[in-house]
Parts: sequence; structure tokens; C-alpha cells
Amino acid sequence: MIVVELRKMFRRPRTWATIAVLNALPLLVAVLLLLTDLAPRAGQGPPFLSAVLRNGALYPLAALAIVLPLFLPIAVAVVAGDSIAGEAQAGTLRYLLARPVGRTRLLVAKLVAVLAFVLVTVVVVAGVGYVIGSTLFDAQPIGGTSVSGTPLTSADLSGRTLLAIGYVAVSMLGVAAFALLFSTLTDSPLGATMGALAVLVASSLLFTLDAASPIAPYLPTRYWLAFVDLFRDPIQWRDITRGLALQGLYVGVLLAAAWANFTTKDITS
Amino acid sequence: MRARGHGAARRRVTVGALIAALLALPAVIGALPASDAAVPAAELRSRALATDSLGFSGYAVSAGSLALPVTDQLSSVADLFSNRTSMRVWWRGPADNRVDVVTPAGETGTHRGPGATWTWEYETATATRAAANPLELPAPPDLLPSSLGHRLLSEAVDSELSRIGARRVAGRDTLGLRLTPAAAAASVSRVDVWIDAGTGLPLQVEVVEKGARRPAMDTRFLDLDLAVPAPETTAFTPPPGASVREGREAEVVLEAGRRVRPVELPAELAGLPRRRLDGVPPGIGLYGSGVTLLAVAPVPHDLADGLRNALSASPDAVVDELGTRVAAGPVALMIVQPPGRGPYVLTGTVTLDALASAAGRLPDLVNTP
Repeated sequence: MIVVELRKMFRRPRTWATIAVLNALPLLVAVLLLLTDLAPRAGQGPPFLSAVLRNGALYPLAALAIVLPLFLPIAVAVVAGDSIAGEAQAGTLRYLLARPVGRTRLLVAKLVAVLAFVLVTVVVVAGVGYVIGSTLFDAQPIGGTSVSGTPLTSADLSGRTLLAIGYVAVSMLGVAAFALLFSTLTDSPLGATMGALAVLVASSLLFTLDAASPIAPYLPTRYWLAFVDLFRDPIQWRDITRGLALQGLYVGVLLAAAWANFTTKDITS
Repeated sequence: MRARGHGAARRRVTVGALIAALLALPAVIGALPASDAAVPAAELRSRALATDSLGFSGYAVSAGSLALPVTDQLSSVADLFSNRTSMRVWWRGPADNRVDVVTPAGETGTHRGPGATWTWEYETATATRAAANPLELPAPPDLLPSSLGHRLLSEAVDSELSRIGARRVAGRDTLGLRLTPAAAAASVSRVDVWIDAGTGLPLQVEVVEKGARRPAMDTRFLDLDLAVPAPETTAFTPPPGASVREGREAEVVLEAGRRVRPVELPAELAGLPRRRLDGVPPGIGLYGSGVTLLAVAPVPHDLADGLRNALSASPDAVVDELGTRVAAGPVALMIVQPPGRGPYVLTGTVTLDALASAAGRLPDLVNTP
């Protein structure tokens, strides 16, 4: 079942078109940066973008930071929102469940396919970022400088970049879980996607308000940028561990709700 | 069909209970009582002041709501008191420590070593070295609960201190110590310092102005590790490719001191006695002690004009025959220009009435050649 869903996901042209569009924005930013040589001023722009002009080896991180606030969650919400509701809208859900396949198994297979999409997307964005960074900018082969001003060897930089890729992928699981839950509640994939995006927009807005600071630690987008902490010296694990735990909680609770709803739902389409 | 309905209800109730339990968890943890101890206020203050050389590391957050109306040259100082500042700290002692102000996209690290301080700014890849100076502008390390607590308690007298129970800060039991300034001119109604029951280290400081319920400044540790950090953690060497500069702040302060007009200031203003501090230019008058301080500086016209414009832009500014004055939380500022004489800047943690009272005595001053 899982293999079937994975094959279905990665055979769709739409999946690869989404990934390609995601990579277009970091490429455009890199070209503009190269042509104008205008790095964002301190405190402005995505993390690592101003440092890219000094060391192109940081471009995978800048690329992730560029797509992380909006484009990546939109892509994940579209794919996850489509997983159950898309089948229902196309009228194929009842035939899927007519086979000797449990609803829990179908939900798990859909979830695994979404997770695979998240991981592949993040890895491709980072990989394309690496190619852009090493071809368009001066990459320092010996490593670089941590955010705290200490030298990093290239092994340090590679290891921390891999951890950052993993962290960004995990950060997207909350979005996927929201979209998957909404996907079990409606027959409209667009509705499920928009529902997940509404949660993200609300979370991002609340995070900017001082008045919302008591609930800030529980907002799904609160710790997304904590991957920057992997490049401080010593590494600041505080927000990273909280980010992982928060995503785990959201995934656990939302999938439990999706399971409770989907396994008892009347399938009419 | 009925069995399925029961199953659906059971699953939804189970998931609902799980969500309710998770939502209640932070409130339950927050409500855990802290254990109090019968330590007198004066002894608690002594314990806090004895921790200056205690080694520790941690993570602290300060939140200020003081919109200081200052000129562009001091915007970094104003930001410190009006923004939320997140800090990582490694403390081996007053002359060997590191405080990193962390932002989502970078950080500014202050490494204090014997005789010099390095400041590292990641986003501009700049390392600035500054020699130690007795008079420095406020910097993020001054906002640490431990540093601020020491500073505010150091000049408190026993009659101003009282105990206020206990609370948990950074997962540790702390004992509350309240400082209520005795001076009538004080704009601060109270300072609450929460002191670690085990070590005496101040872990949270709240400064509340007169007439307010919420603190104008709240700084606290969120994490604390009492192991002494390694020397290589606080040391700093500029990385390859960094721009290395010499700090000019000390020269700016000295130049400001040179531009102050030589004026004989009175021995007391607004009921506060004059005091002397190392490094303060002789033309600047400092008055008061503890958390009630007043500074008077006879300044050049161009500086006064810029500051007057900044003060006048505030909707709360009071303009009368004495001058222009405004309060930003517990900090008050005033520009006074007596007829036919040079202007003065008055500022401090005093009330606007105290500033007006001090300004009323300035026109009688006599310029010395």
C-alpha cells in the first residue's frame, strides 16, 4: 500500500512541477544577488543570504530560508490536502476502500507518501542551492565561519547542513498533519489546503504580536527558523529540541484526530 | 451500525481527552509551587551581592517597554530598553564573560576579557575591539538579571528592602526581594528581584514605575547551568575574512565630556545629593543613589536642539517656561534653556515633578570661565 502511494506520488508530473517551481525562487534570488551585488542589510532578509556573498557554500541554507516561510508550506499543504480529499473528489476513495484495505492503513500510506514528498523537496532545494552556491558564488572549500564568529571546518559545515535539512523537513510535518486532518474532513482538496494555510497565516501573524507572547511557544511556526541555531557555536539546542517536540505533538494529536474521524466516516464518494 | 457509532464516539472522546490533557499541561507545570525559606531581606541582598564571581551559563530574555525619545546616535541604546532581547550567556567572572544577543538571522556577541572587549556582528562579519572604560553606554550584558540585580541592589539600604515570597524561575526555586526606593523623587515604585535559593544569583528582575501595574523592564533567565564555562567558550579571536575595527565608543564619550560647558553645579538637586563616579567628565553632575539617579549636563546648542526635537515629537511631552520634558516609563528627560544662558539636559529615574524642581534651580547657577 505504501509503495503504491509512493509510486503514485512520484509518478505525477504535478509533484515534480511543484518541486521545480520551489527551486525557481532561490535561483532568481541568486541571479539578482549576483547581478546587483546588493546583500540584505543586517537584520533584514532571510537568514544566511547576506553571508552568501562571502561564502557560496552557505547557499543551501539561504535557499531553505527563502522557501521556508511561504513556498515550502504551500507545496506541502497542497500535496497533503489532496491526499484523502483528492481521492474523494475524483470519486476513487470508495473504490480504494472497497479493496481489502483498512482505513488506518490507507491513512498511514498517505502520510508516508506526504513525508517522502517533504523530505525529497527539502533535499532537492538544498541540493539545487548547493549547485547554485558553488557555481555562482565564491565557495570556501575549507569551511566557513559560524554565526558566533568561530571557524567551521568543511566537515562541520556539511554535518550541520545535513542536520538543518532534517530539521526543516520535520518542521513541515505539522503543516502536513493539519492538511491531512482537513483532508479527512472535506471532499474538497482546495478546502483542505486553504484550511492548513489559514492556520499557518494565523500562526505567523500571532508570532509577530507581543500580546500573543504567552501562546507563542505553542504556535506551529514558532521554531521554524531555529535551524539557524545549528550554526551557532556552541550549538543552541534549546529551540531545536522544542521545535522537534512541538512538531511531534502536532503530528501526534492531529493524526489521532484524522484517524478518529476517517476510520468512522461515511464514505459517499 | 450502532456498534460503529459507539466506536466513533469512543475514538473522538479519547482524542478529545488527549488534546485537553496536552493543553492543560503547561498550566499544571506553571502552577507548581516554589518552596520559600525564612531568609531576612538584608541577608538575601548580601547573598545576591556575593555572587558576582559565580560561574554559570544560561539563556535569558529581557523585555522593555521604554520608548526613549533619543537621537539617532543612541538608537541602539533605545532599542535595548524598548525591545525583547534574547541572550546566551557564559559567565566566568566580571572580567571574563560572553553574552550573545541572538536574533532569528544572526547574533551579536560581546566577549569581555582582561583589559578589552570584543564585539562580533555576524551579519556584517565585523569584530570590534574596545579597551575597558569606566564609563560605557548601556549594552546587552547590563540587562542580564544577574548584572542588573547586582547593580540595583548594590546601593539599596536595608529599610528599602522587604521579602515577597517565592516563585520558580528557570526551573529553580527563587526567593523574592522587593526594593522600594525611599527618595521622594523616585519614579520607580518598586524593583522585584528573584534570587536563586541555592546560590543567591538573581534570576529575574522586574522594574515597575509609579502608577503602573506591569513592569517597564522585565529580565529573566529561562535556562541556567551552574557549571563554570570553559575559558575557550568566552575567548574570542577574529575569524578569517572578518573586518577588524577598533571601538570608538570611549572616544565618543570622552568627546561628549569635552563638549560639556564648565558649570558649577549645586551640591543637591530635587532632594538628591551629588555624587562622584570614576570616568564621568567633571562638567556632568550626577545625583542620587541606587535606583533613583539624576544626571545634569550643560550641553552645546546643536546637541540640545536635536534632543529637543526628539522630545517634542513625543505626544506626552510637557512644554512650559521651564523647558521641554517627557517621561518614557520610569526614565525622564528634560531640556532646559535659561534665558541668555546655555542649555542643559536633565535625565534620570526621577519623576517629571522632580525634574521640574531641579530645573528651577538651574537659572541661578553661575558660569565659571
